[in-house]
Amino acid sequence: MLLRLRNLFAGVWLTFMVAMGAHAQSAVVIVSSDDGAAYGAAAQALVQELERGGISRYSILRMKASEWRDARPQPPRLYVTLGTEAADLLARLVPGAPVLCALLPRNSFEAILLHTGRKVSSQFSALFLDQPAQRQFQLIRLAFPAARRVGVLWGPDAAKDGGDWRTQAQAAGFQLVDAEVGKQELLFPALKQVLDGTDLLLAVPSPQVYNSHTIQNILLTSFRANVPMMAFSPAYVRAGALLAVYVTPSQVGVQAAQLARAVLEGKTLPASGVYSNDFHISVNEHVAHSLDLALDEQDLSRRLRQREALP
Amino acid sequence: MNRWIVWCALLACSASVLADGMTGVSERDFLTEVPLVLSVSRLPQRLDDTPGAVTVLDREFIRLSGARDVADLLRLVPGFQTSMSFESIAPQASYHGGFSSYSNRIQVLIDGRSAYSAYFIGSVEPGLQSVAIDDIERIEVLRGSNSAAYGARAFLGVINIVTRDPADTQGTQLGLSTGNNAIGDARASVGWSADKANFRLALDRRSDAGLAGSNGANRIDRLNFRAGLRPANGDDLELRLGTMTLNAGKGDPNQVDNLARDTRYGSSYLQFDWRRSLDQDQDLALSYSHGDETYRDAFPYSLQALGINDSIAIDASGASRSDALTLQHTWRRGLQLRMVWGAELRREQVVSKPIYNTDDALVTNFARLFGNLEWRPEKELVLNAGAMAEHSSTGGSSLAPRLMLNWHLADGQTLRVGASRAYRPPSTYEQFADVRYSWNGHLLEVATLASGKVQPESVFSREVGYLGVLPQLGLNLDVRAFHERIDGFITQINSTRPKDYANTENFSIHGLEYQLKWQPWNGTRIMFNQAYLNFSLIDHGIENGLAVDYGNALPAPRLASTLTWFQKLPGNLDLSIMHQDSGTMTPQRTGHDHQAAMTRTDLRLAAPLRLGAQRAELALVVQNLGSPYMDADPAYAFQRRIFVTIRLDQ
Repeated sequence: MLLRLRNLFAGVWLTFMVAMGAHAQSAVVIVSSDDGAAYGAAAQALVQELERGGISRYSILRMKASEWRDARPQPPRLYVTLGTEAADLLARLVPGAPVLCALLPRNSFEAILLHTGRKVSSQFSALFLDQPAQRQFQLIRLAFPAARRVGVLWGPDAAKDGGDWRTQAQAAGFQLVDAEVGKQELLFPALKQVLDGTDLLLAVPSPQVYNSHTIQNILLTSFRANVPMMAFSPAYVRAGALLAVYVTPSQVGVQAAQLARAVLEGKTLPASGVYSNDFHISVNEHVAHSLDLALDEQDLSRRLRQREALP
Repeated sequence: MNRWIVWCALLACSASVLADGMTGVSERDFLTEVPLVLSVSRLPQRLDDTPGAVTVLDREFIRLSGARDVADLLRLVPGFQTSMSFESIAPQASYHGGFSSYSNRIQVLIDGRSAYSAYFIGSVEPGLQSVAIDDIERIEVLRGSNSAAYGARAFLGVINIVTRDPADTQGTQLGLSTGNNAIGDARASVGWSADKANFRLALDRRSDAGLAGSNGANRIDRLNFRAGLRPANGDDLELRLGTMTLNAGKGDPNQVDNLARDTRYGSSYLQFDWRRSLDQDQDLALSYSHGDETYRDAFPYSLQALGINDSIAIDASGASRSDALTLQHTWRRGLQLRMVWGAELRREQVVSKPIYNTDDALVTNFARLFGNLEWRPEKELVLNAGAMAEHSSTGGSSLAPRLMLNWHLADGQTLRVGASRAYRPPSTYEQFADVRYSWNGHLLEVATLASGKVQPESVFSREVGYLGVLPQLGLNLDVRAFHERIDGFITQINSTRPKDYANTENFSIHGLEYQLKWQPWNGTRIMFNQAYLNFSLIDHGIENGLAVDYGNALPAPRLASTLTWFQKLPGNLDLSIMHQDSGTMTPQRTGHDHQAAMTRTDLRLAAPLRLGAQRAELALVVQNLGSPYMDADPAYAFQRRIFVTIRLDQ
């Protein structure tokens, strides 16, 4: 009953806001793929950061992709999309205002460009969710000073990036030991290949390689082989990866707001997608203790920021 | 109308993109929870936090050693005595004393399943043979009494065998060994996977002509199946099934009371394990295992010496069955506290008319409660406090506590000090043996009649240990100084007729053993072990010289050393040299006044091969380069064995 009341209220509020929007242009419309916790956290941080910059809460509209598709409010000065589905929708409907696509990985953004024929530009840009390869290799160097060989498993959608990663790995003094898992291929021959003699398994997101069905076998096999995993999300650290570097939804929201404020102040979006400035490092202390590794999240984070000359 | 068509087209496009999105990366890969995998009980205790000395023999060590079974490997572990004789049942391994034909004061675990033989007085020999050496991931030998964690059989130590995970053995593996002494080993293993599950089926044979002088030929055939099921909710289900038959020639054609004959031992097991992570910091594990043993060993005893042209049947045949159910909870709080506690119910049944003079099954029920708390009050200190309370339906109740403090003196250096008490209740045979011989309905002799008065024997063990890990020098040193006082040692009393079992001597085993591992550079692995053992009689008990008595029985050499050297050669060849030098001791079948020393040097040279897409290895192994040495019996010798092994790994 309460839920229905809440939905009714939300519907009335949205209709009101859209009606208002028909008369007054919103500064920013945030379009979310979903209303899950991560999207909510990103949107909330975005709104707060915009407010902190003097932008009224009432000139910011938040809606789900499906709601936006149905309502089609008057174009604001900037759209910020959260998630792949919302970015894809706005890419197809050419909404009449610049679009900043946030909370989506680079490969998703590139797939949208490919599907829709859009070009990345100051009118359609992105803030990526994944971490740049250089940052990941710098972190590996800090956490494992003696590491030489880094294993990577490519899914079918990520294999095309292998060349870039290899270059970045070499620049950081690592040898990349990689293998591709094709669409119908078994994971284990490739996993065995990359675990052979490597110091660390670097997980690069690909739903075919890393998902809730495969993660048990990957983590157990790599742990048996005494090869720790560096992952891309805190969930994998909780599951048993040794560490991960990632950007939180709130950090995404804050940086998206900074980019949005620039647009509202008359500047433009970056002409190509950007990675997050901020990041977070998580270490599984139990796995680290078991492997006799002394890793401290704060210390690693501080040193990595120093290397990147971040505050 | 046109607007609706546009919307429908857009919806169709979105649907196709979402369908593509199912296989492409999206933010969901970063934001979705995944099941907990390396849960609290899956993370092993670090060696420098472990309450005791541990020797780990990993898969590479096992392969490079050229050993054909676990017992042969254990001779390279400090403090162990081994024999390759099948005369009692199978090759023997004992720690701090081979006191009889059966080694029943150590525990053998295979993937957590207690695999000692209920039929053979709790001996570990058949269990050590129940898994092919190529199926083993690693062997952890816990040197020292460990009953607080592993029950009564862990009286002096534990051999923990961990088999390879089916996920690591996908595809086909083949192995073949052939050589002198009729060595003919073969193995085929097939691993496959299905959605969320991995499987392995392995079939193998180990056979040779046995020790020179023995009625040798022995052959072990094994079939093992293992399935690992990993549903997405993070649960872990494991099913293991296996069967083994061991055909061995025993006896001597010239001994009427031990006539040459063929014997057959069979065993099978089933093991089911289920584990669930309750949350980040606690796990629940439930295990059930079932084991069966059958043994056939009979020969006619000629009565010619008595002027009777007939014979009587000497028979040791029978069967056993065991079932165990264990529930275990593991919990931790930060890095400071970790606790494992649980309960086990175990039932053992032994049936043998010729040995127990009854058709009824002799049943022993065990109920065990166990717990171990690992507490880290300071970063440098780890206190392990544990205990097991055990009630046996035939041996009464006992409490086995253990306390061990590990002090991390400096980076990579740990000092251990601790004490434990353990009890071993008498086995079914030691309590209920009733071996009698009849002819034509007339009772000729009651050879053994256990009075049942025997009480559990106990050990009070104190030790100081040191573990030094110096990665810069490639050094790893583990030292254990120990004093183990055994009270009420259970022995067969041979001087009476019928024979009985009783608590006899009180004695101590004290000494020092160390294990030095050195990897001076890539491609070289050296392990050097020495064990100094002394036995001091404290009290004769009811009879002299049963197990321990200076000048007479010496259950283990006072000094034993082994050197293992693995060297990578040009061309990726692997060279292994293993040398063992053991001082005099009383072998199991010689009688108290006999002592013998032994030396043995093994050599292995292996070359990796590629046969098409398959990886393969060809190895030449020479066991005992030197002279034959006496093993188990003055009439038996371990002669030089030379064999070639080829392994194919898909």
